[in-house]
Amino acid sequence: MDKGLIQQKLDNTFLRKALRNFAAAYPVARAKAFEGIDFEKLRGRISDFKMAGLEQLPALVEQFTASAEKSGARVHLCTTPEDANRTILEIIRSKNADFLVKSKAMTSEEIELNHYLEKNGVRCLETDLGEWIIQLAGERPSHMVMPAIHKNRDEVAELFSRETGKECPPDIPYLVQTAREALRSGFLTGQVGMSGANVAMADSGTLGIITNEGNGRLVTTLPRTHIALVGVEKIVPSLTEALDIIDILPKNATGQKITSYVSFIKGPTGVEGRELHIVLLDNGRLRLAADPAFREALKCVKCGACANVCPIYELVGGHVFGHIYVGGIGLVLTPFFHGFDKAEEILKLCIGCRKCNEVCAAKIDIEGLIVDLRDKIRKPFGQKFLFGTLMKNRKLFHAALRTAYLAQKPFQGEGGRIRHLPLVLNRETANRSLPPIAETPFRDMFQRSSRSLVPGPESREKVLFYSGCLADFVYPDMCRDTVTSLEKLGYTVTFPQEQTCCGIPARYSGEMEVARDMARINTDVLLNEEADFVVTICPTCTMSLKHDFGKLLADDPVYAEKVRRLAAKTFNFSELAARKAGTRDSGSGTSKGERQVVTYHDACHLKRGCGVHEEPRKVLQELAGMEIAEMTDCDKCCGFGGSYSIKYPEISQEVLKNKLENIAATGAQTVAVDCPGCKLQIEGGLEAAGSTLKVEHSATLVARRIG
Amino acid sequence: MVERFQVAAEAVGAVVKRFTTLADGADYVVSVAGTSPVAAPSLPPAIRQTLAGLAFAAPQDFPLANVGISVAHAGIAATGSLLLDLTDPTDRSATALPPVHLVFLDATTIVPTLADLAGLLEENLNRPSPAYLSLTTGPSRTADIERVLTIGVHGPKELHILMLEGDASWTRD
Repeated sequence: MDKGLIQQKLDNTFLRKALRNFAAAYPVARAKAFEGIDFEKLRGRISDFKMAGLEQLPALVEQFTASAEKSGARVHLCTTPEDANRTILEIIRSKNADFLVKSKAMTSEEIELNHYLEKNGVRCLETDLGEWIIQLAGERPSHMVMPAIHKNRDEVAELFSRETGKECPPDIPYLVQTAREALRSGFLTGQVGMSGANVAMADSGTLGIITNEGNGRLVTTLPRTHIALVGVEKIVPSLTEALDIIDILPKNATGQKITSYVSFIKGPTGVEGRELHIVLLDNGRLRLAADPAFREALKCVKCGACANVCPIYELVGGHVFGHIYVGGIGLVLTPFFHGFDKAEEILKLCIGCRKCNEVCAAKIDIEGLIVDLRDKIRKPFGQKFLFGTLMKNRKLFHAALRTAYLAQKPFQGEGGRIRHLPLVLNRETANRSLPPIAETPFRDMFQRSSRSLVPGPESREKVLFYSGCLADFVYPDMCRDTVTSLEKLGYTVTFPQEQTCCGIPARYSGEMEVARDMARINTDVLLNEEADFVVTICPTCTMSLKHDFGKLLADDPVYAEKVRRLAAKTFNFSELAARKAGTRDSGSGTSKGERQVVTYHDACHLKRGCGVHEEPRKVLQELAGMEIAEMTDCDKCCGFGGSYSIKYPEISQEVLKNKLENIAATGAQTVAVDCPGCKLQIEGGLEAAGSTLKVEHSATLVARRIG
Repeated sequence: MVERFQVAAEAVGAVVKRFTTLADGADYVVSVAGTSPVAAPSLPPAIRQTLAGLAFAAPQDFPLANVGISVAHAGIAATGSLLLDLTDPTDRSATALPPVHLVFLDATTIVPTLADLAGLLEENLNRPSPAYLSLTTGPSRTADIERVLTIGVHGPKELHILMLEGDASWTRD
């Protein structure tokens, strides 16, 4: 990705403010719109019928075509953008027309229709306010629902002044009225009208169009010919399914219960001579629908919610975070609609926080698809050695980490933290100091201590501790505290020395084969020893053991069953500890003084990767005796994202900045986390800012209390 | 249900007027429309009769009309929405072009949610003939500039719902 462009967006104060305000307002409006509605149930239904529809998409296309033609519409199935462009031009020419008046259709952006038609002598007029603004500016949409969210009123006033020839003040109602007046003659003189569609019903051949401005109704009414450009994946069996989409889309898109207009269009209406042409756009969709690995991407209803909640989109906008389709799903659809060359760079921009998965109207595993797609893109130089040779060999990998302990020495500052890295890295780490690699990793510490080698009573449940590399080599104390806490809570703990990296870094970098090997190695290590539980203190590792191993090895005849067994007994520290809450007298806070106030940061992979967010709070309150002062956006990413903070330090730092502000506002002196990565990131930011706040893992806080 | 409808419709910027007789509703129409010609191509005879004093614009003059008048088939309480059958393009122009849109609504046709309209929609869409049905909720709106909600872009700037309670004689053709 062009670093200059990223920096330009990060420096654009209007864009930053606009997107930040939106990010703050959206969840509130959305929650209000969904009041009294079971979102999970609704999106579950949508996910199910969309998936079933995709599995038999050619049949749905056929059924829709027959129904629509029966009602008098002409249906054109177009395989490529070129086909669709040419078909539309032919329809326009057959009407002896040279002026197309359009309402908003992302499919039209997808095939770059305006460019093609203008080249062939047809004038195109976008009438959706946002689309008109970007048409005048010669840009592309930066959001699927709000295409001109990146433009401020001054820029719009300038564009409108230039277009209308009269001076327009930067006053929004005035500008909207200007658009009304300026575009009215377009509606009245446009010879052919064009729309998209939000849904198409196979049984009746009806199109459903969801709009707010009223331009959609005008372009489908005033010109005698209406062309609807519709992606084939929009076809659903019947009205029943269409109503679910109409129900969820405006709520998820803009927090409206319903839009101003929902139109159901079946066939050409009115007197003879009126025509309805439905151009069904394939452009890779039918092939994608037949691909079991990625077809779920087409469940998308294009609400744009994935962009609305994305912390990276919030910083850089849709001109960076996407191609023509933006936001999380834009990253996924781009390779299929526009080719892998267009997707290569943007696929790396996802930080992996899974916020999008949480709000997706069709329950698409957007983040998972992004990760899977990275497997298909070109890998950076050196990556093959790193993952293929180094990480697959545990002894070599761990030896490299031990060597790094020595190599880092010259860069360590006071207190051992690394503030300055050599050369180019220096600038980009300036806002965050890094903890050093420990002299003695936990694995050595554990081996030397005899404490846990003494087995407890036979009745004790046995825990295998899977620490994860970061905790093992950077935060050995965190590991020690975990063992202490678990033992005090009544478990017997062992640390299998053969455990190695969970494979997530390989998987996130698209090295799926390496990730599979790591999954096999760890599965064997962790199943080899009899134990009741496998406990991790890194949510990414938990997610890996619980979910990713299963996904990676689903087709492996030997390991598919093994990884299921492993997943069933793997828990995050908080989950297991929470089981013992209430059984101990740690809640009163009287024995060790006043209750300490902490604020809690939800790790992305713990909350959205494992569905764990109540247990950590229970552990802090009932076992660690703490009081929690919740911060705003407690479950929003801290900006770490593993290697993301090194690949895109400028973005990572900005995400972190928001987090630090929210932390500071709580007044708490300690930030509790359940993730070594979050600790590394937040601690680094606090330290660089000269703050005295501490960041502690829950296990440490519990150990201090009961240890 | 009528109250819920009214609250929801007003929340999205519609004006809701409740009447017990058609004559009172007609008076309100006259007070809004004044003497300028209205776009009202397909009113039921009973309504047309009570509005006989108004000037009616010819379809080609709809772009100049200030007021369009239509009749809803149903209302949705949860969202304050109206179901309009706009299969005739002239009806669409009448409800889409003028800056003020007045809609008669029989209060007894209000249903709780969109899902409750499924039967009626299905019935209309499963006929072999073409159809154009519209759910209208409040006036035309946009938030495309700086996300500032602004009423009245390309469609009506005002939506007045004339809700008739009791007297249903007008609904008969």
